[in-house]
Amino acid sequence: MTTDFDDRQADDVLMAKARELETAIAPERDLWPEIEASIDADVATVPDAGPERGAPRRYLAQAAAVLLLVGASSAITYKLTKTEATVSPVVTGVELPARLASFGGEYPLGPDYGLAHVAVESQLNAMLAHLSPESRAGVEANLQVIRDAIAEINTALESEPDNALLQGLLVRAYREELAVMHKIGGLTHDVMSRNDI
Amino acid sequence: MAALLTAGSSDYSSAMVAATKPDAREEADWIRRARQSDQRAFEALYRLHVDRVYGLCVRMTGSVSEAEDCTQEAFIQAWNKLAAFRGDSAFGTWLHRIAVNTVLGRMRKSKRERDRIQAAEEIMPSPASVESDGNLRDLSDAVNRLPEGARHVFVLGAVYGYSHEETSGMLGIAVGTSKAQLHRARRLLAQQLGEEGTTT
Repeated sequence: MTTDFDDRQADDVLMAKARELETAIAPERDLWPEIEASIDADVATVPDAGPERGAPRRYLAQAAAVLLLVGASSAITYKLTKTEATVSPVVTGVELPARLASFGGEYPLGPDYGLAHVAVESQLNAMLAHLSPESRAGVEANLQVIRDAIAEINTALESEPDNALLQGLLVRAYREELAVMHKIGGLTHDVMSRNDI
Repeated sequence: MAALLTAGSSDYSSAMVAATKPDAREEADWIRRARQSDQRAFEALYRLHVDRVYGLCVRMTGSVSEAEDCTQEAFIQAWNKLAAFRGDSAFGTWLHRIAVNTVLGRMRKSKRERDRIQAAEEIMPSPASVESDGNLRDLSDAVNRLPEGARHVFVLGAVYGYSHEETSGMLGIAVGTSKAQLHRARRLLAQQLGEEGTTT
């Protein structure tokens, strides 16, 4: 049988022991590379994470895919400006709407994004007709790279819908897709205007 | 600090950064530079604080994989919210608040995630294994087995030393609830440890 005093003493010991528990525990692997990939997918290189202990680098594939997007976007612009040599410079850094609120297969994208996508895609399809077959094939192949990456990230998000890392990558990917489509639309619009003159 | 270096047995640079803890002025400089989008400065802050953020996540979730995800999410959110950090509290405390919100957010938003966190096979062997003292290991295991609400309050209040006001603020509960949950946690832990003591 224990008394109140014994209970209090045991409680004090428990709380003292709790304060001895480690408050700083080193992760078993370096978590920084994936954080870095998410906070700035524009960085061309992802640092070596060093030796790992069996933990899969789950998000690096998606991060790499998004890094590809940036390259694809630049390549498209370069290819078009080379091919259609008389075309005016492309406006870059266009801010287009993308919704942060909904992700993955469980949710539809926001209405702003949907409207922008439909408008730009419609413009893109109309304008692609003005490109040479070779340029058009190049554009479509590069856009496919972006869309494959989006599909891959969406698949990952279906199992982890609340993962901010994947959400960030997906937003980047959608933005990049929209920006590329917008660039091509603007580019071919310029071509058409010149021909009209 | 020696305990930290031996506890995690990790050999990458976070332990090195923690071992050469910068002074407050240097940390403030990293924060200032990070707010200006300097990723290297933010990485330095990450290296300095990751062990305490991960430690909190692993004790709150009871799962290594969840803790890794929460830690990453917390730092990503911290990067995105750096402009909102006004220095009213220590940077480490601010990071802890974000980490707690991340853990709670994941638990609230996804039942699937919560089930995964609470699955028996996920009950972590890893954080407990860092305790070299057998009694501490028992306590660490027992804390993992606490119900979610009691565990969160116990971890923040008893392990990390936050007051009831701070704990209730972080968890979004009333101070009275925090006190009740701590009392419940202590009672359950005493029971668990008492039973283990009688069976060994």
